[in-house]
Amino acid sequence: MSTDSPDTTVNPDDGIVKKKLGVGFWICVIWLGLMVLVALFTPYLPLKSPTKNYLDPSNGRPPYSPSWKHWFGTDKDARDVFARSLHGARISLAVGFSAITAGFLIGGTIGVISGYFRGWLDRISSFVFIVLLSFPSLVLAILLTSLIERSLMTISLVLGLLSIAPVGRLARAATLQYADREFVLAARQIGATDRRIIIKEILPNVAIPMSSLALLGMAVAVVAEGGLAFLGLSVEKGITWGGLIQLGSDSARTLETAPWISFFPILMLFLTVLSLNFAGDRLRTFFDVKEMTL
Amino acid sequence: MRYYVQRVALAILLLLAVSMLTFGALNVLGDPLFNILGPVAGDVNNPDSIKMIEAAKREFNLDRPLPVRYGLWLSDFVRGDMGVTFSSTGQPPVSGVISERLPRTISLVVLAQLFAIIISIPWALITASRAGKVSDRISTVNAFFLVAMPNFAIAVILKFVFSIKLDWMPLTYVAGDPLGSRLFQLILPALTIGLSVAAVYQRLLRSDLITTLQQDFILLAQTKGLSKWRILFVHALRPSLFSFITVVGLNTGALIGGSIVSETVFRIPGIGSTLVESVLRNDFPVVLAIVMIVASSFVIINLLVDFAYTLIDPRVRR
Repeated sequence: MSTDSPDTTVNPDDGIVKKKLGVGFWICVIWLGLMVLVALFTPYLPLKSPTKNYLDPSNGRPPYSPSWKHWFGTDKDARDVFARSLHGARISLAVGFSAITAGFLIGGTIGVISGYFRGWLDRISSFVFIVLLSFPSLVLAILLTSLIERSLMTISLVLGLLSIAPVGRLARAATLQYADREFVLAARQIGATDRRIIIKEILPNVAIPMSSLALLGMAVAVVAEGGLAFLGLSVEKGITWGGLIQLGSDSARTLETAPWISFFPILMLFLTVLSLNFAGDRLRTFFDVKEMTL
Repeated sequence: MRYYVQRVALAILLLLAVSMLTFGALNVLGDPLFNILGPVAGDVNNPDSIKMIEAAKREFNLDRPLPVRYGLWLSDFVRGDMGVTFSSTGQPPVSGVISERLPRTISLVVLAQLFAIIISIPWALITASRAGKVSDRISTVNAFFLVAMPNFAIAVILKFVFSIKLDWMPLTYVAGDPLGSRLFQLILPALTIGLSVAAVYQRLLRSDLITTLQQDFILLAQTKGLSKWRILFVHALRPSLFSFITVVGLNTGALIGGSIVSETVFRIPGIGSTLVESVLRNDFPVVLAIVMIVASSFVIINLLVDFAYTLIDPRVRR
């Protein structure tokens, strides 16, 4: 979405405009890397248990405010918000990552194939894409999650399904750009099979711009999972950021007396989505992908 | 003319596909009988239960094959009868629930759209006129922050700051209040949706304005000595609004998604919060009706935006 031109510097020696990713990009990457590490290793870190009740009679009734003992405070059941916020990264990132992977694999394949072969296959897939896009995405997600057992796997698949149509349309559009180019015609002239042309000629050209959109797509998926969790419709067993935020804000009283219960998970979610968006945006300008939005 | 007929036909086809998918999914994957009768539906050895099951099947047409049920539902739906809610009494009818709650959602979405437009246009004008300066950069960062903030988080923060800490705004929506105070109660929910949308609009309009401001007629206006604000408002704004209007139209889907969250947080009994409740209660006729209403309005608005395009730029019709 950003409209800024990329950071450019003109190298005086050769006059070639050199693009840079910028410091902000690397800060975002560091935060994301940190989150991934946290998500992978929380069970092995010396953290408090996310489900244990740390009742402290000398301190009165929970929720306890942030202190040296509980960095982010505790919730109404005296559970440690810091440990829970870190644990929340697991499901949010896992769902975000697997959803966008599923969406790119399925949507990308359909998009490239229909963009390459055109004809009736293209018409059918285009119609399916439009049908999927006729639902506002949150409505479709709610509809689907209502019908299934809500596990990590199924929620990822639902969000993956949601990303099929936008990803598929992009892949199709990108493929159309290349399908009639000279190098493709040349490959066909010397007798390359369709399969070989798609994999060796088309895919490398389509994959690079598409992959720069993966981070932006993942941001969308993480927000969508948060929204579902906030509405009580995400993974049933387990801690998610959306669920934590909901728990801390379901009554005005909780929010008033113990804002830390929802505000720390909001901060974690916000920084993660911000990093995904910013890094994704930088990558997109870096690879100069235009007219493509998820 | 042919273009219009084709587009309308495609829209109808789309809605049929959407309704078939939704109807099929809800009936095949869900268990309507269980939702009507509860545990009784599984109790097939008790003759009393069997009688109730048979009666329920007859009443809700569950003994007919799926395509027939779809046909029955569709013919009712297009005539405005959305069936009965899944409960032992079947009351209240879905149409009643919808007609009571839809106006609240519509006013919420319209208000959110208004806020987004009112905020984004001056914001874009100011930043575009100072493109590249410090204030513009700060605003770009702010826009980025707003876009990255999920709307349920914005809702919680707004509620905390304006309702709880400052006590300026009411906490929840009261359906029985007079119109004026209900509109007042809708301000925070509408801002929840409108703020991040405003950021999206601002980014778009700002970049279009910057392009416009580089054109010759702006230079001419400047050399004529017109004031900066007159140039911005009178000369630059109108030719820059083209894609802005399109995106405002097409963004209705995001607004509806936002209204689901906003209605849930601020306890507004609109169709968004009803959708979530019905999903949790497995009340499929209500879910089906809401999904169809939302998808129809989405498809129809897209159609209207396309038609508006052809009026502005006849080449689209080809």
